[in-house]
Amino acid sequence: MTNIRRLARGEAWYLLFLLPALFLFVTAVVIPLATGVRYSFSDWDGVAPKLHYIGWDNYVKALQDSDLWSALWHTFKYAIALTILVNALSLALALLLDAYLPGRHAFRTIFFLPSVISIVLSGFIWGYNYSQGFPNLLSHFGLDVTSPLGNPDQALYGLIVVAVWQGIGSPMIIYIAGLQGIPGELAESAKIDGAGVWKSFRHITFPLLAPSVTINMLLVLTGALKVFDLVYVTTKGGPAFSTEVMSTYIYRTSFDNYKAGYGMALSMIFFVVLVVVTIVQIGLFRRREVDL
Amino acid sequence: MRTARISTFAVVTLLAVLFLFPLYVAVLMAFKSAKETFDSFYALPARIDFANFVHAWQTSDYPKAILNSAIVTALSVALIVTASSLAGYAIARRNKPFYNIVFLLFLSGMMVPFQVTMLPLYKLGKSLHLINSHWGIALVYGGFGVQMGVLFFAGFVRGISREIEEAARIDGCTTPGIFFRIVLPLLKPVTATVAVLNVLYIWNDFLLPLLYLQDKSFRTIPLQQYYFFGQYSSDLNLAFAYAVMGMIPIVAFFLFMQRFIVKGIAAGAIKG
Repeated sequence: MTNIRRLARGEAWYLLFLLPALFLFVTAVVIPLATGVRYSFSDWDGVAPKLHYIGWDNYVKALQDSDLWSALWHTFKYAIALTILVNALSLALALLLDAYLPGRHAFRTIFFLPSVISIVLSGFIWGYNYSQGFPNLLSHFGLDVTSPLGNPDQALYGLIVVAVWQGIGSPMIIYIAGLQGIPGELAESAKIDGAGVWKSFRHITFPLLAPSVTINMLLVLTGALKVFDLVYVTTKGGPAFSTEVMSTYIYRTSFDNYKAGYGMALSMIFFVVLVVVTIVQIGLFRRREVDL
Repeated sequence: MRTARISTFAVVTLLAVLFLFPLYVAVLMAFKSAKETFDSFYALPARIDFANFVHAWQTSDYPKAILNSAIVTALSVALIVTASSLAGYAIARRNKPFYNIVFLLFLSGMMVPFQVTMLPLYKLGKSLHLINSHWGIALVYGGFGVQMGVLFFAGFVRGISREIEEAARIDGCTTPGIFFRIVLPLLKPVTATVAVLNVLYIWNDFLLPLLYLQDKSFRTIPLQQYYFFGQYSSDLNLAFAYAVMGMIPIVAFFLFMQRFIVKGIAAGAIKG
């Protein structure tokens, strides 16, 4: 009997240790998620005191909503372009900075610096450069340019440039750490065997760097799919809906257009899309990894 | 080989200049007058003039916003570190199904994007009076932060040998005693990692303050900047002076804490 009591007392402390984190997590994530699911089956406007359930109507409507499909298309276009560009650039920089380059620490600081300022700020700075700075500078060379953010055909690309500028910091550091984990002897023996720079990168460095590639691809892609701040502070989804992404579309539907129920159904669809993308991506990349 | 080194250096330098250019423009604008800007966009100002900064300081509530950002960030990080170190320790030391399920729950929570929960979270905040309160928003950041925090702390504790703890237990030390006197001092490196990563995120976050801290007296730096830019969009030099002022604290934090930040990001990648 005393044994059981002592055991219970021992266990009780550990359970108590779990409580604060569980409480925070349940309050900020689990309850809102569950409420959100409930809302998504109603035609709630976000204000009315009572919920009126309408079954799967929101989901049926969403699948026929052309705005949803174009928001999804913009989101994926943005995210895929960003994933490729950020990874290519940050890997290139990591390779260049990893060598015995003078001042490589200073360079690392410089390339990371844009990541630490808020997106509100970078959106503002770039908005100015796009609309007045660059056109003014380029006019000296006889070029006539206007801000890409004001042009429906270019706005998304304009945002991608800003996001690349702000996004290469962390991936670059992860690549540098990954490169440092690759033993130098491997590259050396390849060199002795006559492999050039490209061959040695293609067959030795890159396969061994696969775990870093996996994590960076995943982090950048999932982060980019969730983009909100940058769009909201610069274009607000415009011009002419050309930069409307999932997050801003959900925000607009739920808060500005008072269609909370429908907005939550959109959120749930978005959530499922994200989970599927994550699982597919992990499956694709993990297979290619080589263990050392 | 020498030419390769030199050309590498040249390419990296060129890229670095390109990367710094937008920030250079921001600083430049902050020191120029409207007339100087009109005359030439990218030329240096005739003299160093702090007039824009003085003006920005007077028209905005800058010290208040800095204070709000500092309070929100500090409260949130304290909550995250406390809650996730305790939970991470319990999970790492009790290798039982229940604890592993809780651990998986935290992990799967990381998949839930904020956009999905933002509206219910806003409604919940309203009904629980968490809106326009430092504690309210810290509670939500706490809930977001513990997911990654628990992952870090549990991973770190698993790497610590149990021998000291067992010896202490034989000497009659209780579980909380063991945690606070023996384990906690060992957790410094992982605490630094979790703290710096969360500081960077929370200090710069925009969407949650946009929902939770709409009242003027509670606005954090990014939110106040957003409204300030909207209000003074015609006076660009003033807006840029304010932008530079807003950049200073976080850039200073980054420069001083760079070592921890770099280590934290690299460690995070391995955990992931």
